[in-house]
Amino acid sequence: MTVPALLLHLLVFPGLLFLVSWSLALEWVDRKVAARMQSRVGPPPLQPLADFVKLLGKEVIQPGGAGGRVLGLAPLLSFASVATAFLLLPVSGSSPLGFQGDLVVALYLLTVPTVALLLVGWSSSNVFAAVGGVRAVTQMFIYEVPFYLALLGPALLAGSWSVSGIVEWQAGRPWMGILQPVGLLVGLVGLQAKLERTPFDIPEAETEIVAGPLTELTGRRLAVMHLAKDALLAAGCALLAALFLGGPLRPFSAALPGAVEGFLWFAAKTLLLLLVLSTMRAATARIRIDQLDAWGWKVLCSLALAQMALVPFLASWME
Amino acid sequence: MAEVLVPIGPQHPALKEPVSFRVWADGEVIVRLEMDVSYNHRGIEKGAEQRDFHRTLPLLERICGICSHSHTTVFAKGIEALMQVEAPPRARAIRTVVAELERVHSHLLWLGVAAHEVGFNTLFMWTWRDREAVQDVLEALTGNRVNYGINAVGGVRRDWPPDLVSTALDRVAPLGDRVRLYADMVAREKTMLARFTGVGKLTREQVLAYGAVGPTARASGVDYDVRRDDPYLDYARLPWKVITDDHGDVLGRTLVRVGELHESLNMIQVLLRDLPPGEIRAKVPRTAPPGEFLSRYEAPRGELVHFLRTNGTDRAERVDVRTPTMANWTSVAMALRGRWLADIPVIVAAIDPCLSCTSRVSLADPEGRDRGGMTWDELREHGIRFYAEGRHER
Amino acid sequence: MANLPVLSEMFGNLGSRPSTVLYPFVKVPVPEGFRGRVAVDDSRCIGCGKCVQACPASCVEMVKDEREVEVKGRRITRKRRPEVMVFRCIRCGLCEDSCAQDPKAIFLTPAFAGSGPDRRLVVR
Repeated sequence: MTVPALLLHLLVFPGLLFLVSWSLALEWVDRKVAARMQSRVGPPPLQPLADFVKLLGKEVIQPGGAGGRVLGLAPLLSFASVATAFLLLPVSGSSPLGFQGDLVVALYLLTVPTVALLLVGWSSSNVFAAVGGVRAVTQMFIYEVPFYLALLGPALLAGSWSVSGIVEWQAGRPWMGILQPVGLLVGLVGLQAKLERTPFDIPEAETEIVAGPLTELTGRRLAVMHLAKDALLAAGCALLAALFLGGPLRPFSAALPGAVEGFLWFAAKTLLLLLVLSTMRAATARIRIDQLDAWGWKVLCSLALAQMALVPFLASWME
Repeated sequence: MAEVLVPIGPQHPALKEPVSFRVWADGEVIVRLEMDVSYNHRGIEKGAEQRDFHRTLPLLERICGICSHSHTTVFAKGIEALMQVEAPPRARAIRTVVAELERVHSHLLWLGVAAHEVGFNTLFMWTWRDREAVQDVLEALTGNRVNYGINAVGGVRRDWPPDLVSTALDRVAPLGDRVRLYADMVAREKTMLARFTGVGKLTREQVLAYGAVGPTARASGVDYDVRRDDPYLDYARLPWKVITDDHGDVLGRTLVRVGELHESLNMIQVLLRDLPPGEIRAKVPRTAPPGEFLSRYEAPRGELVHFLRTNGTDRAERVDVRTPTMANWTSVAMALRGRWLADIPVIVAAIDPCLSCTSRVSLADPEGRDRGGMTWDELREHGIRFYAEGRHER
Repeated sequence: MANLPVLSEMFGNLGSRPSTVLYPFVKVPVPEGFRGRVAVDDSRCIGCGKCVQACPASCVEMVKDEREVEVKGRRITRKRRPEVMVFRCIRCGLCEDSCAQDPKAIFLTPAFAGSGPDRRLVVR
């Protein structure tokens, strides 16, 4: 890859510029769909961008005794990690930066925002933020295990630890979502929990702990943190689309599509997954952390394990 | 883990009005809590003693934005009893219709708020959408969406022409199905049931000991409703029953309110189909003879009591308001102990608190002799001094 | 797990129009008899001052303004006319009820929105 091509890839497509606009667009779709389901009008298309720009211009206020450096750096760190992970995912075709084992790196990078939330909560010198930060990490320990197990299913079946490799394996074969439907379901629920959206918005429960870890974030810090959340939504949907729905692949076709067609398929699959996530968000109430603890380990984790146990049989059947 | 003080209120997103809970929590579990309920004293009781009866009604109407009709009806009913006049049958029917419409919109509002407190914003939007229909009916019938201004001492202020009544009937009729649909949703939504079942549990004995009223009490199996046990307006002649439940938790309070919604909608339709003809306002004397009366009323949130004392003039000597929220606070504090931090919003919301209505001032002389009140000017001066000295900041 | 009534209502809403009324871009219907902003018809007022007595918010005040008016066929000179502090008014309508004129000289109009920087519209 030449240097200009690499720069183009990093900064324009599918890097920074595309990621920011794509994340804000997904946020708009999510808000609009949820609003229409609730019989409301919903925001105009540029509302997420307007919110972002407005927050950038606001004054940064921080309480006495708060760790200013952590509060300033954590949002940037979150966004940077998610943006890096996004580079490894196939958007229009296989990612040129992908390598054997990039699935693990992507999963690792996608966990950073949650840890950043703990740091923000802990150094905010605010009891709501602290409780929220602790909740965020408690929740992480519950959903990460089934989420990882669900995503490792495709990797084991395809015999590849590269996201693009798993996509290529699916060309000409049934998609992983058809082979491992339970894995897809657990993955979606895990992603919802990762994104801290209802019914798993426990760390940010507005009516309980104000805004959780975000309580004391203001101005550009809050803007970047929101952007990191949106990017996480885009990256999470892209990851699930790649692993379970074949990413940029055309259905029922062994050939790898061209860049433009590949991107259109990727976008369609992302929007489909987003619709499921929005429906889940609108159709449920927030559960309590103890209820999530019991349900996550007993039900979700068992489902993921059962799916994993089926993978060897699937593999021998596919031979 | 050491105990942490979590200040819920006086400003908090779960609370739409100021109240302060100082909660000591061990991790996520509540160990103990302190409550401070009086942040919004408005001197309405005092104000009610300074005005003649007719001008008192609009003032009392503004005690509460949701049960505005309750406060005027209970006052008008008490003053009429003291004057020994009775509102004509048509006026009583009109008052009953507005009272039940008020109950419907209050319970729909509550259902939405309870859903919102557990993060189920979709149900919140839907119930409030249908509550809008009730508000529109009230607006068309009385001239305002919040402060109906329909009551007068001796009757009501507006008569309803037949076409208005039939439009109102048409708009109220479909609500029963909507309510059934929402009840069905709540009964099937597992995440919501998980947040409601077993939360805020109160036994029948606890309810009786703490003096809880209204749907809170009825959800714990206390079969008590002022509308039946001390009938007023038209309730004695209407076909309806008191809804009780023995869950004793937030789910029970939801079921009671849903049941009451159906009863109220039914009562409204029965009354609107057959409004008694005749006068809407009785002739009342300008003054009320000396006397005392304890006027009781089943507001949407529970038993509302106005104690009235008259002294032969055209104004009350004493108006004492005991709102249902006041009676329910102790039960909330008890239900919260040992629960999860996350349960605070839903347990508090379950009594449907109306916080600013409960603000009271009582004077205690350190010597213990003088328990008298303040004059209007003294109260005003006290208020100015209180804030000037910064005593509101503890 | 799936809650069918909720899901069907949600997807039904996707296909129907939102319930939100886009006020102020869309006019909202005001029912007949709505108690809105108070108005005074000076030509009908006989200056009796009953509205001042009736007002619970004490927002009506009589000001000096002499003119000839006709009451029940007789011509008299009325001495004062009511002036209302519009944004202190609580829109209860007791002034309208108390007005002896027919049609009323002080009455509530259906106009409900409004604000103004003039202090005299709120306090004396």
